[in-house]
This record gives sequence, C-alpha cells and structure tokens, in this order.
Amino acid sequence: MNKYILSRRTVVNDLATFYSFLIGLFIAVCIGSVILLVQDQNPSNVFSLMLKLSVGSINSLSSSLNKAIPLILAGLGISIMNSVKLWNIGAEGQIFLGAIAVNLIYINTAISNPTLYIIVLLISGFIGGSICILIPAITKVVFGVNEIITTLLTNYIIIGLTIYLVNGPWKDPKSLNFPAAAYVGEEVYLPTVFGRLSTGFFVCVLFTFGAYYLKEKSVFGYEMRIAGGSAMTAVYAGINAKQKAFFAMLIGGGFAGLAGAIELLSQTHRVSIGISQGFGYTAIIVAAITGMRPIGIFLVGCLFGALTIGGAVIQTIGVSSYIADIIQASTLIGALVAQFFFTYQIKEVEDG
Amino acid sequence: MTEKLLEAKNISKSFGKIQALDNVNFHLYKGKIHGLLGENGAGKSSLMNVLSGIYQPEKGSITFKGERQKKLNPELAAKLGIGMVHQEFRLIENFTIKDNLTLSKANIYINDFEDAYKKYSEIFSLSINHDSIISDLSVGEKQKIEIMKLIFNNNSIMLLDEPTAVLTPQETNQLKNSLETLSKEDEKTIVFITHKLKEIKEFTETIFVMKNGQMVAEDLKTESVKDKELITLMMGEISTSVVKKNNKKGSVKLEVENITLNSDIGGFNNLVDVSLNIKSGEILGVAGVSGNGQVELANIIAGIQTNFGGNVTIKGEDVSEKGVKARKKLNLSYIPENRLGVGLAPGVSILDNSVVREYFSASYGPHLSKNKMVNYLNLLIKEFSIKTGEPKAEISTLSGGNMQKLLMGRELISNPEVIIAAQPTRGLDVSAVEALHDLIVNQRNKGSAIMLISEDLDELFKLSDRLIVIYEGRIIKEFDIDDANTNNVGLAMAGVIE
Repeated sequence: MNKYILSRRTVVNDLATFYSFLIGLFIAVCIGSVILLVQDQNPSNVFSLMLKLSVGSINSLSSSLNKAIPLILAGLGISIMNSVKLWNIGAEGQIFLGAIAVNLIYINTAISNPTLYIIVLLISGFIGGSICILIPAITKVVFGVNEIITTLLTNYIIIGLTIYLVNGPWKDPKSLNFPAAAYVGEEVYLPTVFGRLSTGFFVCVLFTFGAYYLKEKSVFGYEMRIAGGSAMTAVYAGINAKQKAFFAMLIGGGFAGLAGAIELLSQTHRVSIGISQGFGYTAIIVAAITGMRPIGIFLVGCLFGALTIGGAVIQTIGVSSYIADIIQASTLIGALVAQFFFTYQIKEVEDG
Repeated sequence: MTEKLLEAKNISKSFGKIQALDNVNFHLYKGKIHGLLGENGAGKSSLMNVLSGIYQPEKGSITFKGERQKKLNPELAAKLGIGMVHQEFRLIENFTIKDNLTLSKANIYINDFEDAYKKYSEIFSLSINHDSIISDLSVGEKQKIEIMKLIFNNNSIMLLDEPTAVLTPQETNQLKNSLETLSKEDEKTIVFITHKLKEIKEFTETIFVMKNGQMVAEDLKTESVKDKELITLMMGEISTSVVKKNNKKGSVKLEVENITLNSDIGGFNNLVDVSLNIKSGEILGVAGVSGNGQVELANIIAGIQTNFGGNVTIKGEDVSEKGVKARKKLNLSYIPENRLGVGLAPGVSILDNSVVREYFSASYGPHLSKNKMVNYLNLLIKEFSIKTGEPKAEISTLSGGNMQKLLMGRELISNPEVIIAAQPTRGLDVSAVEALHDLIVNQRNKGSAIMLISEDLDELFKLSDRLIVIYEGRIIKEFDIDDANTNNVGLAMAGVIE
C-alpha cells in the first residue's frame, strides 16, 4: 500500500513568491467575478471601471498611491519584525499612537520653519509607534510573552485612548459634536505634487529602500536573520538575540507610527477615530503575500491602495465596496496556498 | 526464564538512506526487567517504536504469546498490552492527574480509581493528590505519572525510553525500587532503555546491546556480565589506524582550572572540579559516555555557558568573565556537538551560515558587504571541497557531511590557536569522516591546541595525544595515549577505576 506525504522541495524558485501572488490575484479576480455575476453585474465592466477610476488619471492614481502609504509603511514594519520571526499584529494601534504623538507635539510646540516642523512631527510619529510597541517588546524579551497576543491587545487600548482623547481633553468645540480633535494648522500639511499626490509618498519610497537596506544589506539585518533562525546559533555567534528582537520591534512599531503621522498630516489633518481604516490589518496581508520582502510590499501596497480606491468609487454604480476587501483577502489565501505548493511537493512513498 | 512473552525476529527498518534497524532480534520474558543498552542513534528507540506499533518494519516478524502479529499497529499493540513511555512526555498539561490516568478507553481502574491510585502512588513514592494539574508537577513526578498511565491502561509490557535522562540521582534510585516492585508483584514485563552503564547494571536482570542499528548482544545475564564487555559491545572494536604522534608541542594555550557547574534542574549535567590544559600542537581527547558533562564543559570554554565556578585561561588571558566574542578574538574556535541548531541556523541561507564566525569582518560600519561574504564562502568551498548549491539556498539543503565541512571550514579557516571540537564526525559516512580527521590533524600540525570530545573511541585513539575520561562531571582518569586501551578507557568510562 502506498501513501502520500508532503516533502520540502530542495530548490525553491526565486520568483516563487511573485508567481504565487499572480496566482492568488487570479483566483481572487475569479472569486470576485462569481460574486458580481450573482449580483447581476458584468464583471469585466466593473473591473474595467475600477481600473479606470483608480489608475486612469493623474488624480485617481495619486489617490491610490496616497492610500498605499500607510499600507506600505506598516507592512515594512511588520516585515522588519519578521526578520527575527516575530509577528506584529499591532500596526493598527501603532498608527493611531503615531498620529496621537504628532498632535501632542503639535499642540505643545511652535516651530516657525514649516519644513523643520513637519520633520519634527514625522519623527514624533515614528517615536509614538515605537512607544506603542514598547510594552509588548519588554514583555517579549524579559518574560517571553507571545507578541502576537500583546501587540493585538495593545490595539484595543490605543483605540480606546483615541476615543477618550477625541471625546474628552482634545475634543474640538467647533466640530459640531463630532468626536474629533482640532485640525492642525495648514503650515504643517504635507505638501502635494501633481495635484493630489502627498509628498508623504516620497518618504514612503525612502523608507522602503531603508527597510530593504536594513533587512538585506546591513550587519543588523544579518544578526536579525541568525537570531530568527536559531536562538542557540545566535548565542554561539555572540549575537545578543534578545537585543535584536527588542530593537526590531521598536523599529517595526516606528514604521507604523510614521504611517499614522503621514496620514494625519496629509489626509485627515486631525486626530479622530478615522485616522486608520484598518490599514494596520491590511498591512499584515500585504506583508504576508510578499513573503516579507520590502520591494514587494511597496508594489503590492500600491496595488491594494488602488483596489481600495477602485472599490470605493464603484459604489456609485450600486456595487458594494466590499468587493475590494474580498479581492484583497482572497489574494492572500490564494497566494499562500500557491506558495505552499512552491515550497512543498506531494510525494508518493511506500508504506511501512 | 522459560516463556518468551514476545519475540521479534529479523526486524529491519530504514528511513531514507539511513538503516535504523538491520536484522534485529529481540525477545522479552514475562515479569522480567530487560535492559537495552546502546549509544545515541544505535536504534533503541526505533526498535521500541516498532514493538509498540508506531513504525511498521520493512522486514521481520513479531510473535506475541506464540502468535504471529502480522499487522502490528498502535491499536493492536495497546490491545496486546504493549505500552511505551516516550522521551518526550505525552501528558495533557492542563488536565488533572486523574483525568490523564483515566483518559484512555483501555483504562481498567475507572471504578476503583481511589484504591488503585493509592496503591500505585505508594509504589512510586508519589505524595500528590490526584486532583493536581499536570503542569504543576516536577519533571520526575510527570515521569511517574507516565509510567502509571501504562499500568492504568492495563499494559503488561512497559517500554521505557531513557526514563532516567530527566531524573535526579535520588529519583533514579526511587524509580529503580518502583520498577522492581512492579516486576515482582504485578508481573509486569519491563524494557529499560539507557546509554548509562551504571543504571543498566543496577536496574535490569538481562541485557541487550545495540550498535549502529544492529543487535550486537542478546540476553546477557546482568549478574555475570562484565562492565568492560558491555563497553566493548557498545563502542565496538578499536581499529588500529592511528595518525603519527610525532607532533611538536609548544606552550600551554588553553588552561581550565577547577570548573564547577551546579544544576539541580534536569536538563544539564553537573561538573565537579574539572581542570585541564592543552598545549600548542596537541590534541586532548575527552572520552565519556554522553551526558556526563562534556557538552557543558565545551560550552563553558567557548563562553556560551555562564554561571560556573573556576577559571578559563586562553593564551594566558583569564576569560572566565568574558563573552563569546572576546574568546573568538583570542582565536578560539568551537565546533559544537549540535550541528544544525547551534553551529548552523536552520532556515537561514548557506551564505549567511558560512560567515557566522566572522561576519563582522565582512562589514564596513553598519554595512555588510555581500561581495566579501560570497568570496568567503567561495574560499571555504574551495579549501574544504564542499559541495553546495546556490548560496541563497537554505542550509538544510546540504548533506550532513557537507554541512559539517562548511561548519568546520568556517571555524578552521582563520587558523585558530585553540579549537574545541565536539562530536565532529557523528553520523557521517566514512569518506566524510576521513576528510574531517585530516582537517583536525592538519590543524594540529599548524600548532593549534585542540580539545576533541567524542563518543567514538576509534576517533579518540586515532587522533589524541592524551586522553581524559569524564564521568558524572569529573575527570575520573587521564591517560597518555600509549598507555590507553579499550579495556582501561572503557572501564573508566563506566566509572570504574582500577
């Protein structure tokens, strides 16, 4: 009697992640099409409309890229933490605390040079994100508490804090009872180019290369890889694995915090519960699809930004915007399943 | 000793290319305690897994009470009353003792649990209420519950895989008494697996010895068998190949004084007052049955294990308080026993693994030069004739021999002055072993001080200039290589000093 087992392939194609992504996207479009057909919509019409309205003009392309910024930055943070085999589920909370930190500094300081002011505020956002992950980082390194749980739970605390702030101490009397803090001054708005594109996008490009360098080309990245591979090998090599994990977490949180800062300074211009629309969670999908590769996160982040914009505008023809969410989620599932078959093969073996 | 309760004949089992069991014969007598002795990887656990139906052998027959069992699977084994305690416990941690003991549908004391629990907790000197949660118990107590589980599930044949590995000496003594009671009063048939000679002599009535997947001795009477006989069986005959020992020795490079390591927790071993020194151009062999403190000693010298007493001096500098990197700077190399997991990081690329020792020398400040790394790997590949695939590929795609060559190459290419090599050739094929021995001798001739820890007496006799034997954390005997032979070294390994 023969049986079948899964065995790891010795050689995995370099482009396996990319192919898996394409397969995942294809599966997602198929699933999306079926759902549209059930709703008596013509899939090709809907998809071409989505395409046109998300990347068809400079303005719509800019909107798509603006939406991509928080996904990319938070995704990069997640991928840096993953170098030491840690998962950051708390990007959502880090985005909020990044924005809160920006507002806190904005309220309490005044710098006359606007460029310098913006830079100070962006740095505050980064630090805010790091502070958000500080407790999970300490509990992980000192007590070994699972970071998936702690970073996830931190989200609820930070969102609670945000609700408290915008209903209490920071509530803007002019906001007609809408729970939101006061707008920041126009002098600290991130300037736009080509009409709508936020300069935050260029910060995002810069940080993509930064994350790539950190992960792939730096001594720190190397030490993170070894520590992530085997804690015992790290000890043996004289690498302080706990220290690497700690800093990877702070940097990862900082990236998400920066996303919150850019979102505040370029989109919402004030702290409210609408700072993030689940960017921190979607970023997990983005990072996972790309196998934690920074350049891939940048590209898939842009695509997901476009999908979100496309999804929002097709509501005008009576199609739910959730079609975009369905496509994003099924791309991940399809890509992960495809990735599995690139990494493993089914083998027939003799039983006994 | 008449009735053979269970008999296994010509059992063979292989995993891929590795022949785990090679025509093995084994039998059990009712109500006796049988010892199964052998080195790590000799095939003891594989044989037990076959008897408990977990592995299906490719060849061979198993007879139970005279009846041939053609398709022995775990279910059937349970029905026949064959139960096994694995090295890793299989208890449900957040259940109570009672839940764990009565979980199986095979359990026989469901109605009179209280009485049975009282009886057996006395036999096992266990003073814990059965409402306690498993995770609150000590390792030794969990072990007892595991064995009790076999009794409660009505197993008459109990296979115990290295039960004493996690126990303190006191607990080991208790276990011995409990097992004796079980075999006498309950007529339980027990197989006791170990690689510790002392225990096999104390615990058992009859002894089987395995080596390299073969049963090299069957049914030896424990009372009459000699320690050295067992050692020879377990270790094999010594081949005569010996490298030339005309090497010149220089000044002392490594000095270890009064090393003491205290551990009350199971998991690692004590060291007691260990002192040694190694000169330049000298190979000091460290013999001993595994688990007598060798790994701990190597880790202390390499700077991995901290919290020890005593001093480690490398090239005249006291490094006892210093870390791994300080010792590397003094040009110490460590080839750890655990190839994949300590020496090499699994899941990480060949390239990354090839520079673990000297990655900082491939850096400019925070920048890590990929070119330098690739050049370094290529140098290793060339110097040590390593067969590798893509540098980016995962380290585990290499064969065991090539992995070890990469690891040794990486540790030896900088011409280290002090080398600690633990089990450098374990599990490798003959040609790889030869190549690695040449590397070690070559390094000796270049003037390195080498500490060679091995369970393979062949290897130790072939390479060492001097030999120390470590037993229960102490250096029990030291030999000049010319005075050492299987007989006296084997006895020392068993803890017997003439």
